[in-house]
Amino acid sequence: MAKIIGGLGTSHVPSIGAALDKGLRDTPDWKPFFDGYEVGKQWMRDAKPDIAVVVFNDHGNTFFLDRVPTFAVGVAETYNPVDEGWGPRAIPAFEGAVDFSWHFVDKLVERHFDPMVCREIEVDHGLQVPMELFFGRPEAWPVKVLPIWVNTIQYPIPTPQRCWEMGKVLREAIESWPGDERVVILGTGGLSHQLQGARAGFINQAADRAWLDGIASNPEPYRAMTREDYVEQFGSEGAELIMWLVMRAAMNSDVNLIHKHYHAPASMTGAGMVVLENAA
Amino acid sequence: MSEAAATIPDTPLFDRAGSIRGYRINKMAMALGQPANRAAFKADEEAYLDSFGLSAHEKSAVMARDWHEMVRLGGNLFFILKISAVDPTPITRIGAAQASMEHEDFLHLRLGKKRNG
Repeated sequence: MAKIIGGLGTSHVPSIGAALDKGLRDTPDWKPFFDGYEVGKQWMRDAKPDIAVVVFNDHGNTFFLDRVPTFAVGVAETYNPVDEGWGPRAIPAFEGAVDFSWHFVDKLVERHFDPMVCREIEVDHGLQVPMELFFGRPEAWPVKVLPIWVNTIQYPIPTPQRCWEMGKVLREAIESWPGDERVVILGTGGLSHQLQGARAGFINQAADRAWLDGIASNPEPYRAMTREDYVEQFGSEGAELIMWLVMRAAMNSDVNLIHKHYHAPASMTGAGMVVLENAA
Repeated sequence: MSEAAATIPDTPLFDRAGSIRGYRINKMAMALGQPANRAAFKADEEAYLDSFGLSAHEKSAVMARDWHEMVRLGGNLFFILKISAVDPTPITRIGAAQASMEHEDFLHLRLGKKRNG
């Protein structure tokens, strides 16, 4: 069986990628943010995963409103970065973990999920930025990817409980996979931010810091929260945090919080990460 | 969901009504992901907007870069951000416009940045 070697949570703010593109890493605005990720990058170098499962949402780049999948799973050979309006970015394409991805689709449907299955599709900053934060800018990514898209744009978005249930199926898929790959799971999005309406710019540092600890030690309250609770506490776009629950549910009940980092604001967002390992 | 969430102050959720109302604006903005459409937008903005069937009101909101009004008309920020890729505008200025605040005040009071000078 394949092995889950870690669960990571991270923001995926597009300005992070833009800052790297423009060489702003060491400017006063960005240095504290990127410095805090160095321990995460080192953890990743040591962990040597074969497959990265990336749970993220598209931001009106790959999916338009003509068809909005609540959950979509990639089974493609290759995922190219999508043009988000600024032109193509100089980062490598992502190689898909094709067979494992189909296995996950099989498991999902067996367990009564109904995902959209995508064979030819591009990926936006929701996947790109977490990969850059943990793997840097290699000439080729050292892992294959399994992308999972969650709709967090158009309501109704899925419930936190449903994201949790998907994480349970993800774990089952990893443990029933005949290969011996080392798998890391990235739950992405958040932390608190709101881009729309008169409350735009809302950041809740106290709730964000509580989240980074609570997602490790006591995720139950976050699983039980409503979508409205997420919007109220973390802002309308901060509700993306429900995607971390897919990662968390795939891990053991007891995990060790190996690293955490928080910085606000990154652009208009409370931003940060956790690195979790299953407790023995 | 949408009715309950509508009670969170100053926080519009992109629900069925917004998605239907903003469909044309968002479709126009989504198309700016294609370089040829960006060129068409820059060459003759009004003709580009007309080709997506925008109403006079929608057109004037886009052409005035009135972000607050575009969102009120159902524009979703993730789509209309592509306008700011063609006509560069920092996202914090778009945020400040929606909050009806001066940019410096928005950076300080909402995002917690130190004031310049």
